[in-house]
Amino acid sequence: MQEGKKRNVLTVIVLLIVLIGGAWFFAGNLKTSVTGPVRIGVIHPFTGDAAVYGEPMLRVLNLAAEKINAEGGIDGYPIEFVVEDGKCDGTAAANAAQKLVNIDKVEVIIGGFCSGEALAAEPITTAAGVALFSSSASNPKLSGISPLFVRNYPSDSSQGVVLADAAIANGMRKIAVLQEQTDYAAGIYEVFDAQIQENGGTTHKEEYTTDSYDFRTSIAKLQAERPDGLFVIANSPVSAERIFKQLKEMGWESSLLVSDVIAGDPTLVATHADLLEGAYAAEFGVDDNNPKFREVIDAYSAKYMTEPPFQAYVQTGYDAVFLIAEAIKEVGYDGEKIAAWLRDVESWQGASGTLTINSNGDPEVGHRLEVIKSGKIEVVGE
Amino acid sequence: MEYFLHLAILFSIFAILAISLQLIVGYTGLLSVAHAGFYGIGAYIVALLLKNAGMNFFPALLLGALGSMLVAFLIGIVLSRFRDDYYALGSLGFGVIAFSILLNWQELTRGPLGIPGIPRPELFGFEFSSNLSYLLLSFILLGAVYAFSRFLTLSSFGRALQAIREDEEALSVFGYRTSWFKLAVFVIGAGMAGIAGGLFASYITYIDPGSFNVTESIFILSLIILGGLGSLRGAVVGALVLILLPEALRFVGFTPDIAAQMRQVVYGVLLIVLMLYRPQGLMGKYKL
Amino acid sequence: MDIAAQLTVNSLIAGSLYALVAMSFNLIFGATRFFNLAHGALATVGAYGTFYVGVVLGLPLSVAVAGGVLTAALAGYALERLVFRPLRARKASNLVLLIASLGILIAVEAILAIFFTSQFKTLSVLTGAAQTIHIGSAVITHVQLTMFASAVLVCGTLWLVLSKTSFGRAIRAVSDDAEVAKIVGINTNVIIAALFVIGSAIVGLSGVLYGLDTGIEPRLGFMLLLKGVIAAIVGGIGNVYGGFLGAFLVGFAENFGIWFISGEWKEAIAFGLLVLFLVFRPQGILGKKHT
Repeated sequence: MQEGKKRNVLTVIVLLIVLIGGAWFFAGNLKTSVTGPVRIGVIHPFTGDAAVYGEPMLRVLNLAAEKINAEGGIDGYPIEFVVEDGKCDGTAAANAAQKLVNIDKVEVIIGGFCSGEALAAEPITTAAGVALFSSSASNPKLSGISPLFVRNYPSDSSQGVVLADAAIANGMRKIAVLQEQTDYAAGIYEVFDAQIQENGGTTHKEEYTTDSYDFRTSIAKLQAERPDGLFVIANSPVSAERIFKQLKEMGWESSLLVSDVIAGDPTLVATHADLLEGAYAAEFGVDDNNPKFREVIDAYSAKYMTEPPFQAYVQTGYDAVFLIAEAIKEVGYDGEKIAAWLRDVESWQGASGTLTINSNGDPEVGHRLEVIKSGKIEVVGE
Repeated sequence: MEYFLHLAILFSIFAILAISLQLIVGYTGLLSVAHAGFYGIGAYIVALLLKNAGMNFFPALLLGALGSMLVAFLIGIVLSRFRDDYYALGSLGFGVIAFSILLNWQELTRGPLGIPGIPRPELFGFEFSSNLSYLLLSFILLGAVYAFSRFLTLSSFGRALQAIREDEEALSVFGYRTSWFKLAVFVIGAGMAGIAGGLFASYITYIDPGSFNVTESIFILSLIILGGLGSLRGAVVGALVLILLPEALRFVGFTPDIAAQMRQVVYGVLLIVLMLYRPQGLMGKYKL
Repeated sequence: MDIAAQLTVNSLIAGSLYALVAMSFNLIFGATRFFNLAHGALATVGAYGTFYVGVVLGLPLSVAVAGGVLTAALAGYALERLVFRPLRARKASNLVLLIASLGILIAVEAILAIFFTSQFKTLSVLTGAAQTIHIGSAVITHVQLTMFASAVLVCGTLWLVLSKTSFGRAIRAVSDDAEVAKIVGINTNVIIAALFVIGSAIVGLSGVLYGLDTGIEPRLGFMLLLKGVIAAIVGGIGNVYGGFLGAFLVGFAENFGIWFISGEWKEAIAFGLLVLFLVFRPQGILGKKHT
């Protein structure tokens, strides 16, 4: 009996050594040449207010991966996602990045979805030589932050400028701002405020935390300033929903400007059609006539029986997987090489149109001005 | 392997927090829900000194601990007048205010945007960049905190603290300035929490106020309730169990949203069951 | 100043909501003497009860509100029987009860999040577009007016019951001294169970009204609880009318406070008020000295 036990223990130890050693060996070998399923990390919000994005965006990534895998994958190996919850919050994103980099040993990560996630994850991925590719983080501070960071969603510097110009052109001089306390919203405000001041206008800002629910006193304070317009910079449709309800109740009258996450949510815009009538937004638009864009929208609608929400992010998320797959095919599974390849992309055709990445790692596209009419988004000047 | 190193580092940070709160709650009987505030103050001081002043980690950690102690001293002057439920409520108030200041003093803390890119510690040219070396550092600090706490609880000072817990009235009759003892243990505990904060900031490399709110204070409190009040070993065991528990649930295979909630359910039910059937915790000597 | 009128209305709305929580909290505290954090969970249970009856089952608003309040009352009774009474029977200390109730709060919120997701949901399907009333330059919606009316009505009813009925005398006897009440033949367990049912119904109502006004999410009870407990202490812990006064003091302090400083400091104002009271008047506005 004793002998048997000892042998069992020995067997287990040997097995463990073989397993760990094997994993070690293969992990070491994975670099550059692809010898197994290609693991791509994903940091998106699945809990918290921004969780509305997590599930639909993961579906989009999966659609892209399914298509690539069906067509032979990368050198015959399928793409696999390692998904972590970034909660649209820096600490969670940093934790997720630590795990993906150190434990899962991925060489490339799609994320963070929120600017705050990307800003917190970037120092960790850069230090580890892992490529970080965001298809939605838009904070201007991410421009040129690291040679290992790339995005195919434009910086909010263009959103802030486009909206500020529209406000000035429409005779608004004094603009009230209701800003959520997040990196994304703060980034837009900074650019917007600078552009307004340059044109001789002023802004009056009230900030709110993500979990605020009572905006009445902030609204009353802004109302008392008698502004020409109000810019609502919400980070997710959730807080925008509460703000719009209370704006309506308190009889808000002057014109509105809204951030692109609001314009990107068709139900929200339709629900508050009367309040938002004539409101301006600046979005990275979608092109319904682009066949690649139709491809992802149709595939999504067929599989999930509903049109995908937030289509500006759908197109960039879909492209992200194809870009990364192409990069790995070209240069192998190596974070630094993947990032270098991605930063060199020129006139690449995807669901989001023609993509060229500039020396800051930003796409060479901007936001277009839109106006809300009867609960629908219309592009200005088309 | 890296996975275990990661968990072990988190465990050491929370074990330091649990031990430091154990001194306040378990030994002295003061139910403080402000602990995450001191954890946060330490983390922010270390993060700002490392990032903005380019200071070395070790003096920064010392300053972080001292900063936490200073704030704890000021709060403690007020708090030490209370006992029982009122102590808990007062500390809750201060905890929320500390959180609000971290959140809203944006010129200093960048508010909800947090501080990214905090460097790892360095000592004589050696950088603690690998998780193994960081774990070593955390274990050394944990050992130091444990040893100091053990020395403290066995000293005459520690006996006075336990006497306060048993009967504050009687002790003051003997001429002890009990509020002085309560203040002292509060400040010492806060200093240790500050050390844990510095370790956390430099390990995760990113901090924002969300990691230091009242929910976090309650989490630290539940570590020592699970482990058992009045036992330093209990604090360590509590931290070990509650750090490993969510990882065990990870393998069950829920979707991320459900997994996060399941963890909360398990954790809530655990507290209820403990209170019903074993209010002294796993290794506790003293019942609440 | 037209803004002052609106701020007054905002303070009254916030105060009414806190008042429902604080009065019911103090009602139960008076007899049980422990900080029942599960009280917040019952507000969430009430709100989700209304959501289930009104939105999922599609029944009319009045049925949905009644359903929410009833669910909260039943849940409160269940908690008393399954957790709090066994603990009391074992002569558990206040802190043990507090931590058990904390466990309930955490577990209930998470369970609701699993069944209904943690996403924010509006109940506007039930109320339709918000109808507003103008008072001078201030605006108030029907739901918000209902909140204020409910707070006043609940306070008045509690006063009638507590001071004019034999049931009320029994409650006061238990609150004054449970041992003596037992000796004179009052079944304290029955009284406490009744208080849990009534208190939970009231806090459930606060959750329902909050849901109708703003929308629902699993964390709403915790947010209401924090403010409600501050109001309860500021007003005088264990004193129902104190809770009423304290709630409006907190509401006014918050809303007029952020007139002068920026809105993100709102939380800090409420807790600053708590600390001020703990230091200078720990017994609260209407409390007795010895607490």
